[in-house]
Amino acid sequence: MSVTRHLSSDGKELTISIHGKFDFGVVHEFRRAYSSLGDEKPVVYIDLRNTEYLDSSALGMLLNMRKAIINQVESVAIINTNPQVKSILEISRFDKLFKIE
Amino acid sequence: MASQASETTPLELVIFHDDSRFAHDSIDLLAGFPFLIVKESLGLPATIAATKNKLKKRRPTVIIGREVPSQVKELPTSSHLLLITQAELSEQVLNAWQGDVLMGDCSPAMVRKRLSLWCASHRVENQLASFEESLSWYMQRIEREHELIEHIFRNAMSRNYLDYPHIRTLLAPAEKFNGDLCLVAPSPTGSLYVMMADFTGHGLAPATGALPVSQAFFAMSERNVSIAEMVTEFNFRLSRLLPDNMFCACFLMELSANGERITYWNGGMPPALVFGSDGEIKHRLTAKHMALGIVPTADFESDVTTLKVGSGDSIALYTDGVIELLSQQREFLGLDALEDLLRRYPERERFTDLLSELEHFRGEEPLRDDLSLAILECRETGLEPRREESNRDIFPFHFSTTLSRRELQQTDVVSTLVSALGRLPPLTAHRTTIYLLLAEVFNNALEHGLLGLESAIKAQDQGFETYYELRQEKLSQLEDGQITIQLTYFSEANQLQFEVENNGAAWRFSSEAIDAEATDDEQAYGRGLALLMQLADNLEWSSDGRKVRFRYDLSQLG
Repeated sequence: MSVTRHLSSDGKELTISIHGKFDFGVVHEFRRAYSSLGDEKPVVYIDLRNTEYLDSSALGMLLNMRKAIINQVESVAIINTNPQVKSILEISRFDKLFKIE
Repeated sequence: MASQASETTPLELVIFHDDSRFAHDSIDLLAGFPFLIVKESLGLPATIAATKNKLKKRRPTVIIGREVPSQVKELPTSSHLLLITQAELSEQVLNAWQGDVLMGDCSPAMVRKRLSLWCASHRVENQLASFEESLSWYMQRIEREHELIEHIFRNAMSRNYLDYPHIRTLLAPAEKFNGDLCLVAPSPTGSLYVMMADFTGHGLAPATGALPVSQAFFAMSERNVSIAEMVTEFNFRLSRLLPDNMFCACFLMELSANGERITYWNGGMPPALVFGSDGEIKHRLTAKHMALGIVPTADFESDVTTLKVGSGDSIALYTDGVIELLSQQREFLGLDALEDLLRRYPERERFTDLLSELEHFRGEEPLRDDLSLAILECRETGLEPRREESNRDIFPFHFSTTLSRRELQQTDVVSTLVSALGRLPPLTAHRTTIYLLLAEVFNNALEHGLLGLESAIKAQDQGFETYYELRQEKLSQLEDGQITIQLTYFSEANQLQFEVENNGAAWRFSSEAIDAEATDDEQAYGRGLALLMQLADNLEWSSDGRKVRFRYDLSQLG
């Protein structure tokens, strides 16, 4: 269970957490995690607090996700990034596409 | 006529006497009473002080003499002494004598009655004295134990970050030990955890529950554990630990590093109040869950709620001791009054005014319950993300491995390598980046060099899935091929050199391709090379693109 999702009871927040390694190994799990969004146009949080490793396939998956859901959600934020992950996301200019915390 | 004393163990006496006939008659009479035993019968020494060791503390002692022995003046003041004499006692002697007196002209029935009462009172006094002794022993023992427990609590709470500059707290236990718990801790990513909890009751017993919870809280804060996982762990621990009639109401929250987002879980606590700088109450974060320590893990609900907060907002967390504060007129403060106080004193500087109002409301009325109030300002935490210490025990090293078909098919090469090498001190703080770099060049060697995959597949609809399914398929069919990985750490330059070589197809590096990819921010693939170019130094390909070598500077911050 390296990808978990939690949709709040009011349907306004969807939190997707990736544990351990974020790479092509979770490609299906990750896609499933945002496949149903409800009707409330939720804010989507990608919680990376437990993500120790990621590679460029993770970045690709994040971009694919964004493309797929951007019109059905309020916003997408990548949260709880450790300094290394944050700098990788910034080098990849993800800060222009996502809110990164 | 059975006296109370005769029903219990007979009392042991020591007798001093003047060897007169009167004395011997009296001793015979006393010896016949069932409620006492003449332990020793001694002649009057020249001075009674000489027999001091016989006059033990609270040992009942009878002095018998035809005349009043002159030695009685030397006796210590004690109600454990009884003088039996035939002589008439002068007022002066009676005043000086602190013990009881029995005149020789009493009938044997009267002597028996008096002796029995004397024995009874002696027993009561003895009992009282031993109660006093044990009470003071217990008091000392409790004091000593409280000191120890206080010491343990102080140590347990030493990591509590109540000095965080943007929180104000009032923590008032009703007794020495606090059954409320207000914990603050920074996370490694710069966010802030705050917990307000209230164990059933007050005093030492509920405070004991605070120990495991606080230790778990601090340990998990350091590991950057999510609120949902934290409360699940607390509930797991407490439901096994607490008796059925005890539980722990808890409000746990995390304020994001930028101060714009609160994630919280409220189990059985009064609503936390989010209010603006003008005092307007914006949100009441009511409990959606049961308190901790009640439901088993399988039924436990760990759903958290996330809330956007504005700059200038604050959040008030408190235990029911605040709204159930009792005034001298025996009225509860109530939630409305608390909200009213926050409306009147929303500013940081007015916290003391708010506290004075609470004090004023309570007046002389003693605290009935522990009372805790914390007001946290929702603003950028200013907490530095933790950087792992990495400048110790540094030495140069070289690592090399050549992997062939079997290992490539069966091993998660990059994870295994980085998990192992990532423990070496110079690499620890950089292992996420090292993983990324190694993953890029290793996957490049495997996917393009040995498996002949084309990245362009990723651009198709569902291309990612197709690509990685194809990768699996081709990898399992791989017949030949090897990849050599060499990692060299140069301690003086503090650089890690990567060399990855495969014996597969040639690969041509095209800088135009990179440029084209890098300008399209939304293209989902081809980012690996761009990242490599930005993060690596001295990047070079050789052997027709089969071999790549670069260095990564570990001096840069994570």
